Amino acid sequence: MSILIDKETKLIIQGITGREGSFHGQRMVEYGTKVVAGVTPGKGGQEVFGIPVYDTVRQAYEKTGADASVIFVPAKFTAGAAYEAIDSGIDLVITISEHTPVHDMMGVYHYAKARGSTLIGPNSFGVISPGKSKAGFMHDGIFLKGNVGIMSRSATNCYETVFMLTKEDIGQSTVIGVGGDMIPGTTFIDFLSLFERDSQTEIIVIIGEIGGGDEEKAATYIKDYIDKPVVALIAGKNAPRGKNMGHAGAIVAADGTGSAEKKEEKLKNAGVLIAESTEHIVDLIKGINN
Amino acid sequence: MKLLEYKGKELLGKYGIPVQNGIVAGSPEEITSKINKLTPPYVLKAQVMTGGRGKAGGIKFAAGIDQAEKLSGEILGMTIKDSVVKKLLITEKVDIKDEWYLSIMLDRVIKSPMVIFSPLGGVDIEETAKNDPKKLVKITVDPFLGIKGYTARYIFSKFGLDKKYFEDFALLLSNLYKLFTEYDSTLVEINPLAITKEDKLIALDCKADIDNSSLFRHPDIYEFREGLDEDVLIKDARKYNFLYIPLKDSSDIAVMSNGSGMLMSCIDLITKTGAEVRAALDLGGGATRERIAEAIKIIFKDKITKYLFISIFGGITRCDEVAGGVKLALEEGLENRKIIIRLEGTNKKQVLDILDSIGDSVIFAEGITEGVEKLASIRSTR
Repeated sequence: MSILIDKETKLIIQGITGREGSFHGQRMVEYGTKVVAGVTPGKGGQEVFGIPVYDTVRQAYEKTGADASVIFVPAKFTAGAAYEAIDSGIDLVITISEHTPVHDMMGVYHYAKARGSTLIGPNSFGVISPGKSKAGFMHDGIFLKGNVGIMSRSATNCYETVFMLTKEDIGQSTVIGVGGDMIPGTTFIDFLSLFERDSQTEIIVIIGEIGGGDEEKAATYIKDYIDKPVVALIAGKNAPRGKNMGHAGAIVAADGTGSAEKKEEKLKNAGVLIAESTEHIVDLIKGINN
Repeated sequence: MKLLEYKGKELLGKYGIPVQNGIVAGSPEEITSKINKLTPPYVLKAQVMTGGRGKAGGIKFAAGIDQAEKLSGEILGMTIKDSVVKKLLITEKVDIKDEWYLSIMLDRVIKSPMVIFSPLGGVDIEETAKNDPKKLVKITVDPFLGIKGYTARYIFSKFGLDKKYFEDFALLLSNLYKLFTEYDSTLVEINPLAITKEDKLIALDCKADIDNSSLFRHPDIYEFREGLDEDVLIKDARKYNFLYIPLKDSSDIAVMSNGSGMLMSCIDLITKTGAEVRAALDLGGGATRERIAEAIKIIFKDKITKYLFISIFGGITRCDEVAGGVKLALEEGLENRKIIIRLEGTNKKQVLDILDSIGDSVIFAEGITEGVEKLASIRSTR
């Protein structure tokens, strides 16, 4: 199995004719992703590496019955593109771009919830089910099919972890970039139950960081509903309070809300194994596998 | 992007929320030339981002022009926490009979705007939450509905506020919400929201925080940011779309990476060895030779920074480009500096050749952990 995407997933790329969209679009096709259409307003009727381009998501959806869309448009157009995808009936919408205005994404977040679409991102590298399909810009060469399901707020910490896992011949079921922004469309808690039910996934990894309360919420859920072993890393322990560390979401409030200590404590109480570094994640997983 | 009080009040004024008449000045001459627009007595307020400026002597009252000029000379240039006072806001003093608290913030947990009101104004809302939690109300706003009349009615009824202020308050709340959404705010706070002797509502202070990612549609805020007296390295870095973050002044180590997450991981690991980090630089995407070279040069503009730890891993990053960038930066001559670098990506084999040609100021490491260990060991031997 695997979650969210697999060989059968029919994917649309919004912004397919742009520099990033076409570059990574081609790599997705080469990886085996079933890219059924691209969307760029004003470019309908064209083809990009054999993929038909439509002016609107609705047309692409009508022609292909796509299940998912990955959005490669600049930050200021991201919300508009995401609304269009959700309104056209796309079930899974993945937004890539960094520096998307948080008020824009607040609107998209609530709209996706109301319409029952799964929104991933913004500021996400996408989703990959190794050996099957990828929707995003991650370098697929480092991934390997296997039993570890990963969700990460950070792309770089995730790559690092995956790279070392693969080196140890430990593969991944599905790897999700939930993104580093203030209001991610979906977060750890939204995928825990999917990983729990997925027969391929045997170990779940959460790569979190300081700021917000998503790790805490995940901890509560894990305690009550998750039987599979969970490993978590919280990056940013030594970042000063009130200082933005690059990810808009990675900021500890003046009163200490969102601190690494609080997150680790809650996760530990839920039976989660706490990793001290990306390298330590790999050690802990090796321990579970043995 | 936090705004200074005067800028926040400018926005309030723009949205029809009453504020005191005031002037902003950066020098005694400017004060002399502007102050006759105001009617005494005056309030002089240091414009700094840090809290607690009243206790630090950054807020003073003056009966007339002479006293105002004298006191402003004392406030301008003083240091409050780490900020030097460069600007002063001088307003007309108003007589007040009551103070409330009102703010709208973007709440991350509920992913919606939240209105916070308290009839106890003029104190930190965190204090009220701790000492008198019943005197505070938090109301979630559905972003698709916005503020409706019943929100103000709820507040008035809950705290039994005098109905004669209702119309003004309801309008003010709705205008504040308009400002909050139109200016992409994550916080707008009026504390205190005062009631004058004439029974008018007036905002005596304002804290505002605007989403940095939205500045493309707020040229006035962008301009305000560019005009701020920031660390020159932050500004230099921003020109290349790098993020430069000053951290601990006592350290001589800088860290550079191509993503926020790895940057934080590196800082965590370095801190575990007992060291601190002076500054961090996030390259973002696009690790080209030129960008790497510029980033290294910016970091070493700080003369105290002696060690630079670089960790780059983007999957498709070309390691030879990164190494080439390091070489390019070192051609400018960075004596007495050490760079520890770990790289993962394509063309990694060529890296060692390039680094070998640079000499012993660059040390290659396999993985973050080894890099951090090497950093610790060269620092201890020097």
